[in-house]
Amino acid sequence: MNLYAYILRRLLYVIPVLLGVCLVIFVLFNLVAPDPAFILLGKHATHQQIAELHHELGMDKPFIAQYFDTVKTAFTFDFGYSWASKQNIWQMIKAGAGPSLSVTGPLFVISNIFAISLALLVAFYRGKLIDKFVLVLSIAGMSIPSLAVVLFGQWFFAYKLGLFEISGYENGFPNFIPYVILPVILYVFISFGGDTRFYRTVILDEAYQDYVRTARSKGLSELKVMFKHVLKNSMIPILTQIIIQIPYLILGLIFAESFFSIPGLGAMTINAINNSDFPVIKAMTILSAVAFILFGVITDVLYTVVDPRMKLK
Amino acid sequence: MNTEKILEVKDLVVEFRTERGVVKAVNGVNFEVHKGKTLGIVGESGSGKSVSALAIMGLIPNPPGRVASGQILYRGKSLVNIDPSEMRKIRGNKIAMIFQEPMTSLNPVFTIGNQIEEVIELHQPHLSASERAAKAVDMLRLVGIPSPEKRVKEYPHQLSGGMRQRVMIAIALSCEPDILIADEPTTALDVTIQAQILELMNKLQKELGMGIILITHDLGVVAETCDHVAVMYCGQIVESADVETLFNHPSHPYTKGLMDSIPDFDSTSGHKKERLQTIEGMVPSLFNLPTGCNFQDRCSKVTEACRGMNGDPTLKPAKGDDHFVACFNPLENI
Amino acid sequence: MSTEVKKSNSLLKAALLKIVSEKVSLIALIIVAIYFGTALLTSLNLVASTWNTSIGASYLAPGADALFGTDIFGRSVATRVIKATETAVAIGVVVSIIAIVIGTTLGMLAGYFGGIIDEIIVWFYTTFSSIPSIMLLVAIAFILGKGTTTVFLSLGLTSWVGLCRIVRAEVMKHKEREYIAAANAIGATHSRKLIKHILPNISHLLIINFTQTFDSAVKAEVVLSFLGLGVVGRPSWGTMIDDSKLELARGVWWQLAAATLAMFVIVLAFNILGDALRDALDPKLKGK
Repeated sequence: MNLYAYILRRLLYVIPVLLGVCLVIFVLFNLVAPDPAFILLGKHATHQQIAELHHELGMDKPFIAQYFDTVKTAFTFDFGYSWASKQNIWQMIKAGAGPSLSVTGPLFVISNIFAISLALLVAFYRGKLIDKFVLVLSIAGMSIPSLAVVLFGQWFFAYKLGLFEISGYENGFPNFIPYVILPVILYVFISFGGDTRFYRTVILDEAYQDYVRTARSKGLSELKVMFKHVLKNSMIPILTQIIIQIPYLILGLIFAESFFSIPGLGAMTINAINNSDFPVIKAMTILSAVAFILFGVITDVLYTVVDPRMKLK
Repeated sequence: MNTEKILEVKDLVVEFRTERGVVKAVNGVNFEVHKGKTLGIVGESGSGKSVSALAIMGLIPNPPGRVASGQILYRGKSLVNIDPSEMRKIRGNKIAMIFQEPMTSLNPVFTIGNQIEEVIELHQPHLSASERAAKAVDMLRLVGIPSPEKRVKEYPHQLSGGMRQRVMIAIALSCEPDILIADEPTTALDVTIQAQILELMNKLQKELGMGIILITHDLGVVAETCDHVAVMYCGQIVESADVETLFNHPSHPYTKGLMDSIPDFDSTSGHKKERLQTIEGMVPSLFNLPTGCNFQDRCSKVTEACRGMNGDPTLKPAKGDDHFVACFNPLENI
Repeated sequence: MSTEVKKSNSLLKAALLKIVSEKVSLIALIIVAIYFGTALLTSLNLVASTWNTSIGASYLAPGADALFGTDIFGRSVATRVIKATETAVAIGVVVSIIAIVIGTTLGMLAGYFGGIIDEIIVWFYTTFSSIPSIMLLVAIAFILGKGTTTVFLSLGLTSWVGLCRIVRAEVMKHKEREYIAAANAIGATHSRKLIKHILPNISHLLIINFTQTFDSAVKAEVVLSFLGLGVVGRPSWGTMIDDSKLELARGVWWQLAAATLAMFVIVLAFNILGDALRDALDPKLKGK
């Protein structure tokens, strides 16, 4: 079976999952959620007003039709209009993606390079003092609530010391740079513990395999064993972990964006929650799930390309 | 023996630090390897045979393990406390090793050719890239892999277990080592493949004249391939002899027990036997060895002497040339 | 069968012994016990019952009058942090129970029966895990509305997939083992085999999972509080941290510090305990 046939099969498997995701979203937003009439029309709306609203929102259709409307949006990205701002949601998302990526992009690159280098270092010195020290630091880092880091960081470094912009944003490179430095630093700190620990485990998993003993028995130096044999094998799970983070990049950073007034998608989601803006939350949920599923496919395909053992099933 | 002695292990002690204290996985072991000859080390799992081999290779994981005392002399040169970079020049070059698990011992993400060339590049840097590639193909042909030109480009998962073990042998032999250590090389393989691999090792030994240390729990394999045998139990050698003496006159009750548990060999009559016998009891834990002989609780010949009043048994000459046994009541030879 | 169950029990006992024998994990265990004890005492109103009473001026700095200062209403921050232990422990425990019940039930059914049941359950959790958990959490919490039940349910419903996967894989392995064949031979029913034979043998996975779910639930409560979807009517570390966003600019740092510290210590203790348990119960992961 060739690669293209595999990709096609893998894409076909996306369909039941996507239908399932839409089902979950449909159940949550169309069945469980309170009637939007209460939110949009207030308590004193007449029956006629409510009926008109239901018709406008397509809520008078049978459930199955409403479900297909939900499925349709997963393909067309035609999410309708925000209740709060009356703007086209897809336009809002396109406008917010840039600012979000200006924070999450650099964060993604820096935090992964940092964590992988650190993990390689401690895997090389496994069991020694530096390994234990980094492990303790990672676990401690993982235990600090991220909201506290953002709050404290903004207050201390931007407000007290005045080293960075407290908040604000300007569109376009390089104008945004001064505004994103501090959020990126804070989030590198927030993610370093979990990332380092994960990558260390992945690398150590390989460091105890039989082929490593073979490599040593050839007379290779420990450096060569680590960086040629172990690293190439651990690249597979590392790559998976990196790619799987990408869909989260477009979700933005909920805390950072609202505290630093970055007009990204994280801030948009917060606003939508505060305004009970159903369609926006629904749109973000669908969008993130579609991105997540798509990158799942990409990961699987890359896996088969990188790992010679993977037979295309 | 009148052959050239290339490796000598003297009073080797290997310790491991564990949560339950320090254990001696190898405790005072002596043996020699001669050019062109095969030494078999026999014992159950945990008897210290693999640890002895790793100690020779300088591959005891440290921590928790270390060579606590004793000597390992390769052509008179001590390998204990040798400079690590010095040891790397010997490892894979003069002393090579193959392992029990052919399925996992090759790196899954590099081609066969790459893995053979790697060791050639390391120890024979004067060869050019094309010479290395040609040598890798030659090595695969030498170990009997069909269409080697095609195979060098393949990955380990594309080969069967037997083929992978041949590749391991090709890697080990590509620098024409003095000594090949084979740690249960055929255990994980089918019986027919086992015979092929052993035959291949014998043939290559004749061609290249290397000394072999063959580690196994299978006396049948020993009978077919070895010149000299050391039987290990709980980190010590309990009996040592040339292969014929050992099979004709086993002196240690443990050796006798091992022989009686070979399906079609009866040490008493030499005929195929009716029933398999097993050795009663279990190997004692290294954390909790008895005083006196370690085999006392499983031995049919046990007497008060074995329980420690005369100290631990040591290797003493037994019937036949070059035959030693560590037993207070060695078997009468029949 | 009894030997298998005994093995599992003695494994737990050995794990506990190992945790107690190591200094770091013993301290972690003691800290967890102190937090749980505190939660019990506050729920009985024996400790920190004055959490809603003003003891002085608004925003008193930490000092002799109030160890960790006071909040906007002049209530003692220290007392409120202690009272909030009850909320945190309740969230951690209830969320873990919801996640463990869903994850274990579905995972056992999928792994044991296989076939179409397995396919449906795998599809179901693949679907669930295809929605990034933060968005699913937000969506569920948003739709259920503000309140303690929402916190329990939204976190519980988003925390079961990992355990479900592990349990499914483990049950598939156990199904083939001899003691199940033995149980088959004496004609045990499916439910009996699942509950009396297989469940005890995967219990260590549930215990390891509990420490992880507890940790992430306590941390996620902060996110929900920030979104305005957190607990109401009682103090929680999440709401205290969230409240402090408006106070920091006025130099009021003690509410943030106290709540963060309280949370950091228990999350760290659970992290360490989880690692120790995993080392002791799942030897193949040792030293990682």
